[in-house]
Amino acid sequence: MKNLKIGLIAAVVLTTLFSSCKKLDLFPYNSIEQSQSFKTVKDAKTWNAGLYATFRGRRYGSYTFITDVQADQLNASLDFGNRNGNPHRWGTSFLADDGTIRDQWAAYYSAIANINVAIKGLEDVKPLDATETASLDRYKGDAYFARAFYYHQLALRWSKAYSPATAATDLSVPLITVYDVNAQPSRATLKQVYDQINSDITQAKKFLGAVAGTVGTKTFNIDVVTALEARVKLCMQDWAGAYAAANSLITANKYRLTTTAAALRAYWHTDGNQESIYECFVSKPNELANTNSIYLGLIPATGRFTPDFIPSIWVVNGYDAADFRKAIYFEPKAVTVSGLSFNNIVLVNKFPGNPALFTGATTNYQHAPKVFRIAEMFLIAAEASAESAGTANALTALNALRVARGLTALSGLSGAALISAVRAERTRELAFEGFRLDDLKRWNLGFTRSGAQDVNTINVGSNYNTLTIPANDPKFVWGLPANDVTINKNLVQNQGW
Amino acid sequence: MKKSLQGLFLFLVLGLSALAQDRTITGTVATKEDGAALAGVSITVKGTSLGTLSTSDGKFSIKVPSTAKVLVFKYVGYGSQELSISSASQLNVVLESDSKILNEVVVVGYGTGKKISSVVGSVTVVAGKTFEDRPIANAFDALQGKVAGLQVFTSSGEPSQTSSLRLHGVGSLGASSTPLYLMDGIPIDGGTVVSMNPNDIENISVLKDASATSIYGARAANGVIYITSKRGKLNRPAEINVSTQMGHSDLANEDFFNQFMNTKQISDFWVATAYRTQAQMDALLAQYPFDTKWYKSYYKNGAPTKQTDVSVSGGGGKTTYYISGSYFSQEGLAYRSGFKRYTLRSNLATTVNDWISLGLNLSMGADDRQTNPYGSNSTNRGLALLAAPFYSPVDKNGVEYPNLIPGWARYNPNYLADNLPSNGNNIQANPSGYIQVTPIKNLTIKSQVGMDASDYRTSSKQLPSYVGSLNNGNASESFSRGVTKTVTNTVEYKFSIKDLHNITALAGTEYIDNTSTNFSGSSTGQTDDRLTLIGAGPNNRDASSGKSEYAYKSTFSRVEYNFDTKYFLDLSIREDESSRFGKDNRTAQFWSVGAMWKAKKEKIFSDIKWLTDLTVKASTGTSGNSSIGDYQSQALVGTTQFDGGSGWFVSTPGNSSLAWETQQNTTLGVKGSFFNRINLEVELYKRDTRNMLISVPYAYTSGFSSITSNVGTLTNSGIDVTFDFDLLRIDAKKAYITPYLNINYNKNRINELFQGKNYWIIPNTGVSWAIGQPVSYFYPLFSGINPATGQPEWYKPNIIADKIVETQKDPNIVTSTFNTAALQQNTGIQRYPWLNGGFGLSGGFQGIYVQADFSFSKGKYMINNDRYFFENPNQFPGFNQSVRVLDYWKKPGDIALFPKYGTQFTQFDSRLIEDASFIRLKTLSVGYNVPESIIKPTKMIKGMKIYYIGRNLLTYTRYLGPDPEVDTNVTLGVNPNTKQHSLGIDFRF
Repeated sequence: MKNLKIGLIAAVVLTTLFSSCKKLDLFPYNSIEQSQSFKTVKDAKTWNAGLYATFRGRRYGSYTFITDVQADQLNASLDFGNRNGNPHRWGTSFLADDGTIRDQWAAYYSAIANINVAIKGLEDVKPLDATETASLDRYKGDAYFARAFYYHQLALRWSKAYSPATAATDLSVPLITVYDVNAQPSRATLKQVYDQINSDITQAKKFLGAVAGTVGTKTFNIDVVTALEARVKLCMQDWAGAYAAANSLITANKYRLTTTAAALRAYWHTDGNQESIYECFVSKPNELANTNSIYLGLIPATGRFTPDFIPSIWVVNGYDAADFRKAIYFEPKAVTVSGLSFNNIVLVNKFPGNPALFTGATTNYQHAPKVFRIAEMFLIAAEASAESAGTANALTALNALRVARGLTALSGLSGAALISAVRAERTRELAFEGFRLDDLKRWNLGFTRSGAQDVNTINVGSNYNTLTIPANDPKFVWGLPANDVTINKNLVQNQGW
Repeated sequence: MKKSLQGLFLFLVLGLSALAQDRTITGTVATKEDGAALAGVSITVKGTSLGTLSTSDGKFSIKVPSTAKVLVFKYVGYGSQELSISSASQLNVVLESDSKILNEVVVVGYGTGKKISSVVGSVTVVAGKTFEDRPIANAFDALQGKVAGLQVFTSSGEPSQTSSLRLHGVGSLGASSTPLYLMDGIPIDGGTVVSMNPNDIENISVLKDASATSIYGARAANGVIYITSKRGKLNRPAEINVSTQMGHSDLANEDFFNQFMNTKQISDFWVATAYRTQAQMDALLAQYPFDTKWYKSYYKNGAPTKQTDVSVSGGGGKTTYYISGSYFSQEGLAYRSGFKRYTLRSNLATTVNDWISLGLNLSMGADDRQTNPYGSNSTNRGLALLAAPFYSPVDKNGVEYPNLIPGWARYNPNYLADNLPSNGNNIQANPSGYIQVTPIKNLTIKSQVGMDASDYRTSSKQLPSYVGSLNNGNASESFSRGVTKTVTNTVEYKFSIKDLHNITALAGTEYIDNTSTNFSGSSTGQTDDRLTLIGAGPNNRDASSGKSEYAYKSTFSRVEYNFDTKYFLDLSIREDESSRFGKDNRTAQFWSVGAMWKAKKEKIFSDIKWLTDLTVKASTGTSGNSSIGDYQSQALVGTTQFDGGSGWFVSTPGNSSLAWETQQNTTLGVKGSFFNRINLEVELYKRDTRNMLISVPYAYTSGFSSITSNVGTLTNSGIDVTFDFDLLRIDAKKAYITPYLNINYNKNRINELFQGKNYWIIPNTGVSWAIGQPVSYFYPLFSGINPATGQPEWYKPNIIADKIVETQKDPNIVTSTFNTAALQQNTGIQRYPWLNGGFGLSGGFQGIYVQADFSFSKGKYMINNDRYFFENPNQFPGFNQSVRVLDYWKKPGDIALFPKYGTQFTQFDSRLIEDASFIRLKTLSVGYNVPESIIKPTKMIKGMKIYYIGRNLLTYTRYLGPDPEVDTNVTLGVNPNTKQHSLGIDFRF
């Protein structure tokens, strides 16, 4: 009897114990082990999609507007609430532990880490047929292109302007081409970084050689690589190389400048893609991009606007009345700032939000981020030619753009005057697309902010609307994030941070 | 025939003799506590099978042979009592309820529980009445200041706020420092506590030392909080308790809210600083001529609190029950903040037969909750006081603006609450059951299963009529479910050798598994306020889901030995396996040794009359911590979306060598009672944490900001003192005054870090870990405003980077150039308070009682990020500011709080690290137990109590922000703690 009892109990206990146990080898449901992720070409395709999603997340938003906020064309409105105030004020406001600096640095390097994993992992995938081989080549080409693009962005912000004379000694960013979380890299020189960029561009050209570009494409191709090459070589003062790359895209005549105000308006306001060599794929609601939302600040309830930043009057007046861009890039708006109404403040209206991408009743400022467009190639061709005494070529490229924008062609310019005209055109054309600060640095120009539209709408003072920054101000070059300098003793901080 | 006659004769003779020698004993059996008759008591003659049962009125009658010497009275729940049979034939017996003893029984790590006086480990039991009838949903709030060494902070005034608990300091720099919470033996989440009825709590035991906690091994490194729920008593008539309470909430402290400039002050300031010309100001004031105290628009006053509780408990001969139901509702002071809770509990236990007993506890809760979403960095509440006072939420006729407030350009807070509702709804289920068998005497085999399950749902929408997005509403529904299942099997054997060597041996296995899942869906484009479900929105339809799991498998064993209940020794060992670590590092062993000496039982002490009790305890042992996220040991690839397909990226770098964080805890304690009226307990402890699970910072160039690794060591050492005494005690008049004090001093020290560093400043937190130091604030040290120049100055830290740990405060080495990275150094201010505790008193006279509980925290510092906004007119021009900014430098020689206008008034420096030490009157209750003479005639009511209870009535602090109790390093936009006044009435039927 007693034995029976004990037997019964033991049975009950053991059953409860063992029937309820699940294994301790648990794996997540929303991710897979890295070691299992490079098995097939389908895996490679998924990695490639990840690369594009990451790339989209690193354009527009603060990646684009923060340097414009730091530069000379904008004034902080009274209601800007100190958003992006630190780079705008420079000096002791803008420090190496700034969130913007940290976020962009971290974002580019995490993207590079992924590419390094992918470049190595793609080698392990064995294609089954020629189609798969072609796909794999595309993925490799995309990876090399993106890495070159990111290193160029890093070099722009964290090193001095490229000067062939000093590039071999000027410090740039750490070069990491192999995934290793425990690496403690030192900074490479500017020359080393640009050598790597060019090497990646060469690789990308090799793998994407067979991938032809099309207008408004969502994926990288040989034309996109060439556009990057033009941009990189302009920065390197490789005038011939920059001109050759830019001009090859211009003469191919595949990507054409818009010629009417309506087409240009459609290009900017509703994401017409005529001028795009590459723009990021977006779709609502799950695949939206960062937004350049600092310029308008629509209050839906009143229909009025409370912008964070207002363009200075000289910027607006820099456009001729006939210039199509003036009414497209800018628009006078009814503004409410600090409780007071102003009815005709001109605001930046280059990114008003594409209605096709709205997720609510009013704008969410969404656009397909435009990464490379043909207008920039005309400007690169013009600038590279002007800098290398190619007056005729420079005028050809410059005037092609001017005429397309509703302006008259210029003539009789050469030398410094031509360079100056090209720079002015570049500033007008690429306004608020994130180029201004890097251009000032490249051109070795300082600035003094001036010409507020209405001082009653903006923050005034020597660190706001009358800020003077000499060309050699160390903060033209961002400081390395305090986090990395503290952890990695091999990193040397930039001067002045 | 002859034989049968002989047989008959024999029978008659025997019968006669039996008749001649037997006698009948009659009597009654009643309870000791209230003299109630006990039915069904088994009465046997010892050594025979003769026996009977008491009748329904407690009477019995038994025939006993003359040889019988002892009668045994036995009753489940009342122990047994043996009485010698004297010559008397009438015997009135009183049995003492086990429940009296049960009250003092604590369950320390599985097993059948034992008297607290014989527990070797350090355990503090807080009685249920501490949690009863309090005007807050969260029971743990009442633990504040009640247990020496247990720090409890309630970080906001949200009615659904849970408390953060920390025992003996912060136990880990990376993994959680939260204790393990158990309810009736089943692990529960901290959030479960707010979903249960505090009135269901019989008591809460706080297990402090290794001897008490090591048996829980996994996750016990930060102590164990053991909640025991109420249960019925055997053979008791049903007791019905009905209580109801109403009250209201207000801001606990308004000092912060009253420090803002009024219209005159701000306009004078703006004109004086040339921020505005007088003409501009006049124009502005012509349009906005008000003087508004904005906090009154963002926080309500007198928000109602209500609660009602009904419970029935009792028991029959073999079964006990406790059944309760409750309703609690509290409105928050901020808009869209509130909590409404319904609970139901049934605790049943029954004895099936003489070797099987079982029990089932079912606890369910359903609550609706809303929390104000506009906290840090939001000008819709957290920073709403930036609103200039000349704007107003009402127009000149006192009519509220329906949506947008002119000038301020923010929506009315109630408009936002009405148009952007977000309702949370939680269903909480905590069932647990056990079966216990006793196959042979003293051997108990128990199998217990339990679950902590919550199903939380949030419905959020934006009404189509919301003017911010007119005729384009949105709706989303989020479901998340967390289920933790626990299965525990134990075998316990108790035996004694010669009644001197008492041994209890226990062995068991435990299996815990958790699955958390979530799912959400949303849409936009709703056009009609009456039709706002997801289906009514044609656009942007979206769905997502998630799932995560962990599991633990453990075996454990314990041997308890005592010699003559004088010398005690406990040994325990446990092995745990966790799914969170890699295969090779999954298993860890934990152990403990504890000893206790009941010194009073020694001859030398037993004669000392004034010494009521003296006990000495010592223990040491280890336990583990695995409170990190799931899957962190694995290198993983996560998913994203591109062009409608999925994409991969490296989401977790992984760390295949990730293993348990361990801790060794050593405790020495002495407990004494004197003159039978003074109790003093002193305990010294040292906790050494090793292999801490820290998110070790990585340079971003690695692709990651941190990787969780086992690094570093940390020590917490300190002392707990618990003291109370009867200042006055006159039993006859039921008069007493008993003050108490408990206090903890804790010192933490970092012994070792990672990557060979001697310190690490956690970016953007101000918090630093430095070897040889407690967790401290490293921040730029402000030296003052230079009276000659009006510039702010900071002490320059030691130029050798590694030496910034040594505070540099040389007044000659200062700079007026601010730079966070270059100026940060050891401020010498500790992150965690070094002194916590509580004091108070309970008193009574006749039926009147008073209970006052203060809690305090000393050395509590926070970075008051609010002041960065409210004392920074250059950074936040156009916004209202604290009146403190008026004290700025104007001319050489001025000694001012702030620099000259134009220079940034406030930087993230040591000025913002504020002393948030506080003393709070946590609870004040005054009540009256209506005497029997009044209620007895009703023949229905057995007891009645009328009371007032207040919470957070007084706060003493020098802290300038909204609430000193927030448990954080940086505080911004908190919805501050509230105070309550409530009146209640309890009936017992």
